[in-house]
Amino acid sequence: MSYLIKLDEVTIGYDKNGILGPIDLTIDRGRFWGVIGPNGGGKSTLLKTVLDLIPPVSGTVQTQAGLAFGYVPQKDKFDPIFPVSVDELVTMGRYSRIPPGRRPGKADRERVRQAMNMTGIIHLKNRTFRSLSEGEKQRALLARAIAGEPDILVLDEPTASVDVKGEARIMELVRNIKHEQGLTVIMVSHYLNTLTQHADMMMLIDKDRSLFEAGTKEKMMNSVSVTGFFGLNPIEAPVE
Amino acid sequence: MESFELFMNSYFLWRDPMIVGAVAGAVCGFLGVYVVLRRIIFVSAALTQISSLGVALAFFLGASTTGALATLVHPFILSIALTVLAALFFALKRDFSRISAEGVIGFGFLLASGAVVILGDRIAQGAHDIANILFGSAVVVDPKDVYIIPAAALGVFLIHRVLYKDFMFVSFDEDSARLFKYPVRLLNTVLLVSIAVMVAVCTRALGALPVFAFLALPPLTALFLTERLKLVFALSVMLGVLSAALGYFFSFILSTPTGATMTVCAALFFMIGLAWREIKIS
Repeated sequence: MSYLIKLDEVTIGYDKNGILGPIDLTIDRGRFWGVIGPNGGGKSTLLKTVLDLIPPVSGTVQTQAGLAFGYVPQKDKFDPIFPVSVDELVTMGRYSRIPPGRRPGKADRERVRQAMNMTGIIHLKNRTFRSLSEGEKQRALLARAIAGEPDILVLDEPTASVDVKGEARIMELVRNIKHEQGLTVIMVSHYLNTLTQHADMMMLIDKDRSLFEAGTKEKMMNSVSVTGFFGLNPIEAPVE
Repeated sequence: MESFELFMNSYFLWRDPMIVGAVAGAVCGFLGVYVVLRRIIFVSAALTQISSLGVALAFFLGASTTGALATLVHPFILSIALTVLAALFFALKRDFSRISAEGVIGFGFLLASGAVVILGDRIAQGAHDIANILFGSAVVVDPKDVYIIPAAALGVFLIHRVLYKDFMFVSFDEDSARLFKYPVRLLNTVLLVSIAVMVAVCTRALGALPVFAFLALPPLTALFLTERLKLVFALSVMLGVLSAALGYFFSFILSTPTGATMTVCAALFFMIGLAWREIKIS
């Protein structure tokens, strides 16, 4: 099996109601996939289907055996009533390797510390997650995702509500982590510019227009769907 | 001072209810942290009412039942059975024919509340017993409760000690728990059933009102006082014990209803916590 994830004739949706499909997609190791599309266009539904958090309405999602995911959900997903510290949050990323009923050991705590160091949040470890700035929250979620030593990093709008400086810092982190650890990345973003700078593969999804297209960045940046969607003239994509 | 001396000299009267109240306050305070964090306070209200229904139903059926069947309609067994069934229903059933989960929980609460009052009207012991079930009767407790409630509490604490990380994980981030192949539904069910068992056991001894109060007010107060999760649990347990003990003490010396006095004590701690929080952030 050469691919990490393969979608065959998949229709995505909730409660047996399909919203878009059929989708055929193959995610290979080491790629950086950018996912673009309008709000409510089905991006998060597709991510959740890929992650096996919701079943496909039809078709099959195959993943390589033993594939470990690092998931950075949208930061607003977490209920601020929980006084969870940054240390506790990042440690949860390690639970992919700690079965129920077992507690984190010394090696797990060391890995958590490394993840916090790598993302520059070690000084925030005793702060509550809810008290952090938007950029700090994203770095804490990134630390949590890499603490589990994943093969594939899935990021849902990691730069939303972050200022330009914070966005640059997060994207630099993602790029460094990808290169250092040889990860595959799938990232949803509203910002075409961010994705074209970092992704080598792209997919466009819009359920209202029954549209799903995927391919290399160069192919997608000249696709009528993408240029039409963003109101652009077909141009050569920026090179990293 | 005279009242205090009278209270101390009446040790033989209040020892058992004080033990039962304090243990119930501790364990409900602990479990209530999950109730508050998961925003399912209304579930705990419904469970306490359904537990009361079990007790009232046992009174009602007990009058017309003899032999082996009479054992089955014992208030303890019927209360636990109904409450655990309700907890399993709330934990396992997610789709309610387009009605929100809150709507169904409200339905359970109202049905149980109405049925308790109707049964109260029909049983021989009458309204006084039903009032005790609903609002707390811990002036005296069944001697067996001094063993049953601490034993049940110990069992629940042991389960939570082993599964603390997992209960907190599925409560905080269910999606990641699913992604990491944790048995989310099983963990949610065990958590809710552990709450249901303690609700049933404590409601029969103390009444629905103080049990609901211990599940909601000490955790809310603890969340005002600290930003550290583990300390929230510790403070909530302490506040549950204090509310029960002080509630019993004031009920004794002021001759007020015990369950209601425990509830007011928990509410006073809540107000102190809220004031502390407001002062701290101002």
